[in-house]
Amino acid sequence: MSEEQGKTSRKEESAGLMKYSAENLVPFGPIHPALKEPEYFKLVLEGEKIVEVIPRIGYVHRGLEKAAESRPWVQNMYMFERTCGICSFVHSLTYGQAVEGLTIYEVPRRAKFIRTIVAELERIHSHLLWVGLMGHWAGFETLFMWVWRDREVVLDLVEAISGNRVHKSMNAFCGVRKDMPSGMEDRIVERMKFLADRANYYKQIVDTEETMLERTEGLGKISPDTAEELCAVGPMARYVGLRRDIRLNDPYAAYDEVPFDIVTRSEGDVHALLKLRLDEMIVSANIVSYAVQHLPDGPIRVKIPPVIPAGEHSSHSEAPRGEIFYYVKSSGGRTPERVKSRQPTMANLPTALEILKGQTIADVPVVLTAIDPCFGCMDRMSFLDIESNRQWTWFGEELRQYGLNYYFPGRAKKR
Amino acid sequence: MSEVLLQQIEKLAAEAKAKSTQLRKGETMVEVDQTQLKNFVKRLVKETLARHLSTITGLDLGQNIGIIYHFWHERNTIHVKTTVPKEKPTAFSIVDIVPGAILYEMEIHDMFDVEFIGNPWMDRKLLLPDTWPKDLPPPLLKTSKPAEIRKRLGLEVERK
Repeated sequence: MSEEQGKTSRKEESAGLMKYSAENLVPFGPIHPALKEPEYFKLVLEGEKIVEVIPRIGYVHRGLEKAAESRPWVQNMYMFERTCGICSFVHSLTYGQAVEGLTIYEVPRRAKFIRTIVAELERIHSHLLWVGLMGHWAGFETLFMWVWRDREVVLDLVEAISGNRVHKSMNAFCGVRKDMPSGMEDRIVERMKFLADRANYYKQIVDTEETMLERTEGLGKISPDTAEELCAVGPMARYVGLRRDIRLNDPYAAYDEVPFDIVTRSEGDVHALLKLRLDEMIVSANIVSYAVQHLPDGPIRVKIPPVIPAGEHSSHSEAPRGEIFYYVKSSGGRTPERVKSRQPTMANLPTALEILKGQTIADVPVVLTAIDPCFGCMDRMSFLDIESNRQWTWFGEELRQYGLNYYFPGRAKKR
Repeated sequence: MSEVLLQQIEKLAAEAKAKSTQLRKGETMVEVDQTQLKNFVKRLVKETLARHLSTITGLDLGQNIGIIYHFWHERNTIHVKTTVPKEKPTAFSIVDIVPGAILYEMEIHDMFDVEFIGNPWMDRKLLLPDTWPKDLPPPLLKTSKPAEIRKRLGLEVERK
C-alpha cells in the first residue's frame, strides 16, 4: 500500500470513529453458552444514555431447521420440543399442528383439551419464572424466592401429568401420548386457586413495594403504532394495548371451547408488563380449572402413517412469550422438505432494541428482562470508552450491583 | 370479516398480476413477481388489516430460491411468495414498509445468501459465525452438507 493510500484509509477510519466521538461503544455479551442463552448487543452510549443498539445473535444456533430435513417427521417433533428449556411444549404443539394440517386426520377432542391444559400450565410456570427474575434484577430478592417456590407447584403438576418437569414430550401427531391421570381434578383445581391467590398477592406487592415501583415505572415506553410496525408479539404487544393473542385471534387446541378473555394494558411500561403477566397467570389458572372440569371422554390419539402427503402449511400459537410460528413443506416423503420455526424472542427483538434507546446502562438488565428473553446476555459486559481508549469488563453480578447502586445508593452501602 | 379480506387480497393480486390460490380454509398463497413484490406488500399492509408479518421463510427450489412472507389477520394467513434466481440472489427489502422484517431478512441473508437491497444491516452476520468461509455454500441450500460444514469450521469430533 502506498503512503498516500495509507493516509486516506486512516482518515476514513478516524472519520468512522468520529461518528461516535462523543459516544461510547459498549459490547454487551456474548456469554457463557452452557448456563444461559447468549445474545450480544453492541450499545452505543452518549454518557449514560443509550443511543443505538446493534444485535448479534446465533451463539447457540444449532441448525435445527437443517437437521429437520434429514430426520423423520415424528422425530422432528421431539427435536423441536428441545428448542427451548422453558416453553418446550408449545413448540411441539405448533409443529404438530402444522403437520396435522397436511393430513386428513382430525385431533380428538379430549386430546385438544389435554393440550390446552399442559400449554396453560407451561404459561404459568414461564410467567412465574419471569416475575422471579424481574425481582432479582430489580433488587427485590424476596420476590424471587417466593415466586420460584410457587413455581414448584406448577412443575409438580406438570410432572404428575406428563412424567417430566420441562421437556414434557406429551404431543404426538393428531393427539397426545399420555392420558390425564385419573382423580387429579380436585388437586389441580385447588392448586390453580392457590396460584391465582398468589398472583393477586404479588400484584398488590408490585403496586406498593418501593423497589419495584422505582425500578419499573415509566420504563421501556413505546407507542402502540411503533409496536405494531415492529411486529411485536405476545405480552410485548398487549402491554401497549394491542389485542394480539393467537388464543383469541385464531383459536387452536380447545381455546374456542373455553371461556376466557385476554389481558391488555394501556400504560406501556415495564410495571404494566409485570401486572399483565400476573393477570395472565390468573386467566391461565382459570382456563386450566375449566378444562380439567370439562374434560370430554373419548380417544386421545389417532394413529397416522409415517408418510405425510405433499403440500405446505403453516401454524402459529401463543407461547408464553408470544407468537410461535412453524411453516412445513412436504414433498410426500418420510422427511420434511423444509421446516421453518420462528420463536417469539426473535420477533420481539426489534421492539426491545427500540425501547432500549434512551435508557441508561443501569436500566439495561431490567428492560432487557422485560421482553422475557433468554437472559444470557447479562452474564458479562465489556466497556470501551473510545475517547480515552479505556476498556473494562463487568460480570452480570457487577452490572446488577451497578444498577442497584444507581437507584438505591444508601441501601447498597448498608449491605 | 374474512370474506372482505379475501376479496381485498384477490383484488390486490389481480392488480399485481399475481397468482392467488386458496391452500385451505383461511390460508391463501399469493405468488408475486419480484418486481411487483414491494408494491404488493405496501398495499397489503396499508390497505388491508393483514399487517402483522410473522416471519420470512427461505426455500431452496432447485433453480431458484423462494422467499415467503407470512402475514396474518384473525383467522386468515396470507403467504406472499416470490422467487429469486440462485445465480444472482438479490431481492428488494421491505424494511421501509415493515420495519419488523429487518432480522428476518438478515436471517435469510445468512442462510441462503440472498442480498436484500435496502436493508441497512446487510453488511453483517446475524446467526452464522463471523469466521464462516466465503467459499462455503450457505447452510440451508440442499447442496450444502452438514458434514462438510463441520469439517471446514473445525467442528469435526473424532469418534473413538
